[in-house]
Amino acid sequence: MFTAEYLQELDKITNKYEQKRAALLPLLHRVQEKEGLITPETEKNIAEYLGIPVVHVHEVVSFYHLFHQNKIGKCHFAVCQTTACALRGAEEIIGYIQERLKIKHHETTPDGKFSLSVVECLGACELAPMMQCNKEYKGFLDKKKIDELIEKYS
Amino acid sequence: MPNLIIDGKQVEVPAGTTIIQAADKLGIDIPRYCYHPALPVAGNCRICMVEIEKQPKLQIACYTPVAEGMVVKTNSPKVIEVRKSILEFLLVNHPVDCPVCDQAGECKLQDYYMEHGQYDSRLSDVKVKKEKKAFSIGPTIMLDQERCILCTRCVRFTDNITKTHEFGMFSRGDHSQIDVSKQLDNDYSGNVADICPVGALTDKDFRFKCRVWYLAQTKSVCPGCSMGCNITVEWDKSRPHQHKKARVMRLKPRHNPDVNDYWMCDKGRYNYHFIDDNRIQHPQLKDDFVSWDQATDTIVTVLKSIQKSNNTNRIGVLASAQLTNEDLFVIRKFFKETLKGAMVDFRVPEGPGEKDDFLIKADKNPNTAGASSILQADADAGEIVQKAKHGEIDLLYVFGHDLVKLFGKETVEQIAKKVKLFVYQGSNVNATCSYAHLNLPSSVYAEKEGTFTNCQKRVQRIWPAFLPLGEAKGDWEIISLLSAKLGSPMTYQNSQAIFKDIAATMAPFTEMSYEKLGDKGMLLK
Amino acid sequence: MEKIVSRHFGQKNSHRLENYLKDNGYEAARKALTQMTGAQVIDEVKKSNLRGLGGAGFPTGTKWSFIPQANPKPKYLVINADEGEPGTFKDKYILEQDPHALLEGIIITCYAIGSHKAYIYIRGEYIKSLEIVQAAIDEAYKGKYLGKGIMGTGFDIDVVVHPGAGAYICGEETALLESLEGKKGFPRLKPPFPAVVGLFGCPTVINNVETIACVPPIINKGAEWYAKLGNEKNGGNRLFCISGHVVKPGVYELPNGTTLREIIYDHAGGIPNGRKLKAVIPGGISAPILTPDQIDVKMDFDSLKSIGSMAGSGGIIVMDDTTDMVWAAMIAARFFALESCGQCSPCREGSGWVYRNVKRLNEGHARPHDLNNLPGIVNNIGGNTICAFGDAVTMSVGSYVSKFRSEFEAKIQERVCQI
Repeated sequence: MFTAEYLQELDKITNKYEQKRAALLPLLHRVQEKEGLITPETEKNIAEYLGIPVVHVHEVVSFYHLFHQNKIGKCHFAVCQTTACALRGAEEIIGYIQERLKIKHHETTPDGKFSLSVVECLGACELAPMMQCNKEYKGFLDKKKIDELIEKYS
Repeated sequence: MPNLIIDGKQVEVPAGTTIIQAADKLGIDIPRYCYHPALPVAGNCRICMVEIEKQPKLQIACYTPVAEGMVVKTNSPKVIEVRKSILEFLLVNHPVDCPVCDQAGECKLQDYYMEHGQYDSRLSDVKVKKEKKAFSIGPTIMLDQERCILCTRCVRFTDNITKTHEFGMFSRGDHSQIDVSKQLDNDYSGNVADICPVGALTDKDFRFKCRVWYLAQTKSVCPGCSMGCNITVEWDKSRPHQHKKARVMRLKPRHNPDVNDYWMCDKGRYNYHFIDDNRIQHPQLKDDFVSWDQATDTIVTVLKSIQKSNNTNRIGVLASAQLTNEDLFVIRKFFKETLKGAMVDFRVPEGPGEKDDFLIKADKNPNTAGASSILQADADAGEIVQKAKHGEIDLLYVFGHDLVKLFGKETVEQIAKKVKLFVYQGSNVNATCSYAHLNLPSSVYAEKEGTFTNCQKRVQRIWPAFLPLGEAKGDWEIISLLSAKLGSPMTYQNSQAIFKDIAATMAPFTEMSYEKLGDKGMLLK
Repeated sequence: MEKIVSRHFGQKNSHRLENYLKDNGYEAARKALTQMTGAQVIDEVKKSNLRGLGGAGFPTGTKWSFIPQANPKPKYLVINADEGEPGTFKDKYILEQDPHALLEGIIITCYAIGSHKAYIYIRGEYIKSLEIVQAAIDEAYKGKYLGKGIMGTGFDIDVVVHPGAGAYICGEETALLESLEGKKGFPRLKPPFPAVVGLFGCPTVINNVETIACVPPIINKGAEWYAKLGNEKNGGNRLFCISGHVVKPGVYELPNGTTLREIIYDHAGGIPNGRKLKAVIPGGISAPILTPDQIDVKMDFDSLKSIGSMAGSGGIIVMDDTTDMVWAAMIAARFFALESCGQCSPCREGSGWVYRNVKRLNEGHARPHDLNNLPGIVNNIGGNTICAFGDAVTMSVGSYVSKFRSEFEAKIQERVCQI
């Protein structure tokens, strides 16, 4: 269950909206930021808090790709594979990451340090090939830059 | 009220009517998956697209409101092409499970494919695999996510009708899956198998039981409570070896906008086994099977002696609100007129059952309103039982009640000792039968023609699906036999004749007839 | 050429209020609130020929005029900053580098349509944009440019930033409304249109970031000035995004009516490594692909429509002659398959099927009938769906097959790429 303090934080978000349910996406983001993932327990708590059926919360969590139902790595690589990035070598970058970390799309390394998602256009085609590393956009990727990032978070 | 033309036929409908509703009124069946008249419109299957004159794009009929002068074509070449393409898309990932799928024979994919498809598959790719196949999602329903065409009828049902919110549509794209967020165990879960147009949601009770093309259908009314939900009894008599001699395979709700709309509760739906199981099939006097002649003679002998000594008040009759109006009318005629003075009542102390604010009523009898108006009981069942216990009753005639359950074993033991003739007339065996002196087999509702009166005071017809099992007879037919043997023959050839008499002599039923009742019923005056 | 929407790009701390104020910041809003009526603002924007810059190109003033003023329900303005169309990244620049221009545009637009509440729906991946825009809003509230009785007038306005969560379909305006209401991004059946029944069932205008950011300059300098910058039916400049095989990928503000050739060669530096142009997407992945003989087209909504493509979101993706077009088609088909919301049958099943088919074609595992069937299958999706996503699948993927058919055929015969 949510603590009183936590509830206050959530209330702050919810109060911006004319209908409580509209706060669902920012609430899920907030909870995921705090806990790292969305569990069935969390879904239940949020459903209760908003006064909506659990199924509607789960539908939303399963629909949007930014909500994780499994723990992601301390360093999460979301690498773009759409046209502009693909034209500038995204496939090689993805292949190289998979090779170095020995994980595939939607997987996390056993030590929990790295995870990989292959995603669609992130709105940074001018930096192609690019990825979102945790919160930051990293562009003009090459093997060297990947090595540096892996080094940084190892 | 706008006038429009669909396929050359004119129709006038209230403003706000959609094209598909107007077409239904004309009897034109536009194919549909996601549209259901009792559920909010989803417009996602796209198979109901039709051509509207002066509009360049086809429109979905389930969502487009009619307009004055609209000209609609539901089977132009353009429409047929689109229909074919929608079918093709739905079949791309659909497993060809027909040989093992219960829906075969009543499946909308099969039906529309035979009508509009009949093409060779263009699929050379692997079909999308989904997680749950042949997966139990609750006590009554099996889910097969691969067969699902994502029409979302089930989601809209549990969101809007039962408001229990079990179903949801998860993930996205062609990996979307229908699933439940908690067990599907609400009181109306069986309805989702009815509304699912394909074999994604199937009834566990019916699973692999019988191919639907063997089923015959008879209209009836559920006897489970005073709601009187309209139902269809679906039965197969042609292959008893397949079903261990059971005839009824399943019950389905029948549409009545004034009573149950398209729904029925699970208790009513799955309580049909008593029609074939545990039936009393032969008249039985103590431990011996006897003929109807011997059985009725036994009763008539006691009645004659009662009549001779002018002691009709030593006759106790526990009639039942499970009986039809026709049964009750004949009982009244025999016991309250011919045997005037007999104590007759139907109100046993069974206590109210569970109810909800949808279809389930606390009164678990289908004909309480009928019993009230027709029997006009002036005696009291409890009193009758007490008198019987204390030897003040010579003939105790019980219609279907389990006195052991209602009054306790001791009371019934006493009754069996003190009463001269203890008659039990019922369809199924219960604890009382072993105490009754004479057991008479009667029909169940599915074997009767007659009427019930529900809690709305609506008189509704039931039709017989098949003949009574074994030597069972209809309740009024048995009483008729007794009446004839007692010297007061009733001249009723059939239950329609009885109903005619009811309409003629009982004020609330004035002007009613079987024809007027039709299959939607009429309210009492 | 005078820079309008990108006038503050590249300046240090351009996102800060203090710097925005230095350049006539919020003066247009003041002018509108104190010297014009809402109806006059709508008229001005109509005259400017400003058209929606998110992709549909619908005349903005006209869209605003659809709001039924007599309707007693509250009106909403929703800014579509979901920017998910592959090839497009311009709104990011406005959000990160000129958020106050957007806020000022919001004030004027709300005033015009009678709204007092605006939501800015920013795609969830744009973390930096979300933070910067929120900070700008906080500054604006502090400086009384947002809130109750702003800038000494009686006008109340509240603005809320709302994050998306990773679904391209939420760029479709009714799917965006669904997402904003806390549901999955399932586009709604239309009619009713958002102008009548929108957010929370109330009349709503949804506009792209860039479109609204153009509004303050229009009010400041007048509709005539703006209209003259473009061509007859398409006023003003536009932020063109260019990426793929070009020397200088990036955002370029240029007049509507600039040719594609000019953008590729004069502004983006042409094709690197001495290679030649093979194909170019003119307006985001949904736009039918163009061949080198078509690049003299003027980059405005009507001109592109007339050659069978679309201006869309202004996202130009350039492909040189090392590009395997079957592979490129596969990338596009994969995008659509992954982003289809799944609500309606043709798109849900069709986008996945088309992708699997094109993937096999790309890998050399296809037979002639697969290629022969493909156009028919692709064409069955568009026109039969709830939203334009289905049309995009048909137009986009279909264009690769129709314009580069020989490459598809070669892969079937030779089972290998011809490049």
